[in-house]
Amino acid sequence: MTGEVLAVFIGSSVRLAAPLFLGAVGELVSERAGVLNMSVEGMMLTGAFAGAVGSWATGNPALGLLIGIAAVMPVALLQAWLSNTLRANQIVTGIGINILVLGATTLAYREIFGARSRTTIPGLEKWSPPFLGDLPVFGEAVFRQTWLLYVALAIIVGVVLVMKYTSIGLAIHAAGSEPRAADKSGLSVTAIRYGAVMFTGFMSALAGCFLSIGDIHTFTEGMTNGVGYLAIVAVIFGNWKILRTLFASLLFGAATALQFQLPALGFDVPNALLIMLPYVLALLAVAGVVGRQTAPAALTQPYSRA
Amino acid sequence: MSAAPASGAGAAAAPVSDPKSASGSAPGSAGTPQRFPLPDIGVMLPFGAVIAALLVGVMLVAALGVPIKDAIAAFLDGAFGSAYVITESIHRALVFALIGTGFVLADRANLTNVGGEGQIAMGGIASTAICLYGGVSHLPLGLSFILPMLGATLAGMAWGAIAGVLKAKGGTNEVISTLLLSFIGVWLLYWSVQSTALLRRPMTGSATLPESLEIPDATKLPVMFPDSDFALHIGLPLTLVLAIVVAVVLNRTLFGLQLKAVGLNPTAARRAGMPIARNIILALALAGALGGLAGAMMLQGQQTVLKAGFSSGYGYDGLVVGLLARRSITGVIAGALLFGFLRSGGINMEMVAAVPTALVTVIQGLIILTIAGIAFITEKKGRAA
Repeated sequence: MTGEVLAVFIGSSVRLAAPLFLGAVGELVSERAGVLNMSVEGMMLTGAFAGAVGSWATGNPALGLLIGIAAVMPVALLQAWLSNTLRANQIVTGIGINILVLGATTLAYREIFGARSRTTIPGLEKWSPPFLGDLPVFGEAVFRQTWLLYVALAIIVGVVLVMKYTSIGLAIHAAGSEPRAADKSGLSVTAIRYGAVMFTGFMSALAGCFLSIGDIHTFTEGMTNGVGYLAIVAVIFGNWKILRTLFASLLFGAATALQFQLPALGFDVPNALLIMLPYVLALLAVAGVVGRQTAPAALTQPYSRA
Repeated sequence: MSAAPASGAGAAAAPVSDPKSASGSAPGSAGTPQRFPLPDIGVMLPFGAVIAALLVGVMLVAALGVPIKDAIAAFLDGAFGSAYVITESIHRALVFALIGTGFVLADRANLTNVGGEGQIAMGGIASTAICLYGGVSHLPLGLSFILPMLGATLAGMAWGAIAGVLKAKGGTNEVISTLLLSFIGVWLLYWSVQSTALLRRPMTGSATLPESLEIPDATKLPVMFPDSDFALHIGLPLTLVLAIVVAVVLNRTLFGLQLKAVGLNPTAARRAGMPIARNIILALALAGALGGLAGAMMLQGQQTVLKAGFSSGYGYDGLVVGLLARRSITGVIAGALLFGFLRSGGINMEMVAAVPTALVTVIQGLIILTIAGIAFITEKKGRAA
């Protein structure tokens, strides 16, 4: 592998991993608090759609990003309400939201753009960090990325610090592992879980916008196409730990990038196998083949004070 | 203008909710309350949810600026307009019914099988492989189409059993494992039609599509009434028999009772000496078997060629049907028919009235969320009773 090919490979791996780790870190926080959101997929799709429409309508991608985030909030609130107030089955409601969003965004997209539109939408600008961006070959291929990616990295550093060193992080962990004890010590489990699901929505919106106005500058129907599920898989494979989840996202991103790289290098590996790889790895992980998995104790269990 | 959607709403709801209007009108006919008690709220709520979702669908049609009358006419024409579309709808409903029956079966043991999509895919792969390369097409006595169906059933069963074993031995959450297995199954199917070493048809030119050869006629499911316009295949009676068998097994046999015990209280079931692990594995394996069979029916009854996207999301539709049915096999059949006709009507609405089929997707999503959201009402009722 020459340096140039390697650089392109790393660059595209990072770009493909970005929506994964954005969604995964958001989902991780919520799962730590005890709520599983299968609706990450639907939240991402909402973000991708609203971000694209916002950017197209205002001509300003940054404004589009804000619109994308705003549009996901009601979806996240719906999931939080179903999971925490109505104490509905988290998996079923998550899948329901995904189906609803897929239908709704497709309808709205057709209504706004027509059935076969390939409208290019103004996208977020690229940015290179100083020094790193000036490196030969790698500077351009690896470090010149949508600025949202760098914002995302900053947010994730923030999440790591908050989860590890603050009382907020402690409260989130408590809500997901010992909700009754958390309640007895005066924390509101419901409030923590609402907040955590809303945070998942925020991060999923960023992930969705990264897909539509960060990466390819257009929206296509159902464009998330399983990325949200893959983000949940990354959390599982990452054993509910942030750094391992990031690593899992990068690994999955690299597996996806290989699909485009291997044929260029003359290897004939069926791309279905590469697409399948993350799911197989995750299955092995949850099966306990790759170390012990320790999900938060109260994951998917609605909490009721009664 | 506001009056138009309202009157249209009534017109739309009436034909689709026809079979249910009997139970809906029960509260009104207060004459014989003893002999005809009010339907259980757990039965009425799904109907309410479906009707409410359909009303939202009608409002969306109005919002899209399509005349509601045209949309409904196109919908009804697509769902009931000819023998062909009715047959298509019923064939689709059979797939939903099998997946939904499997969902209810596993649900009895408190196991949520969301792996229908992958089980369909595995069934499709196995069935195609046996139809094309199993040397079955000259076998007598119907073995030519029965053996591929059996193979598909076993493939689906194995796929379901993986999740069962993981759950029974290591406590792996079956929702996560069946979902992952679903993705893997779908991509295995994609691989098998991409690679000529597997099921892809021999490349005769650069334009050869990534799909299998057409299966031989002898392996296709026989049609029941060859002289009629209704080309219903034998999957219909087979599905009905299986649904009845599952209902009887769940409600009248020791195995059914054990599944229920495992679902309600595994600890007590273990103390009572029931084989917990075996029951968990069996429940998920049987659900998978029904999914595999559904895949065989889709291939041998309708599509006859295996291609990418074969499973068509039917596994998720079937899951919704199982969920809607609230643990009743009769409910599964009703839900399967509803979704079968809903899809057909939706497809025609897109072609004729320019209303995207995505509308049906929206309606399905609303139905799921409403029913899941109100589940706590019925569950509280159940506990009190």
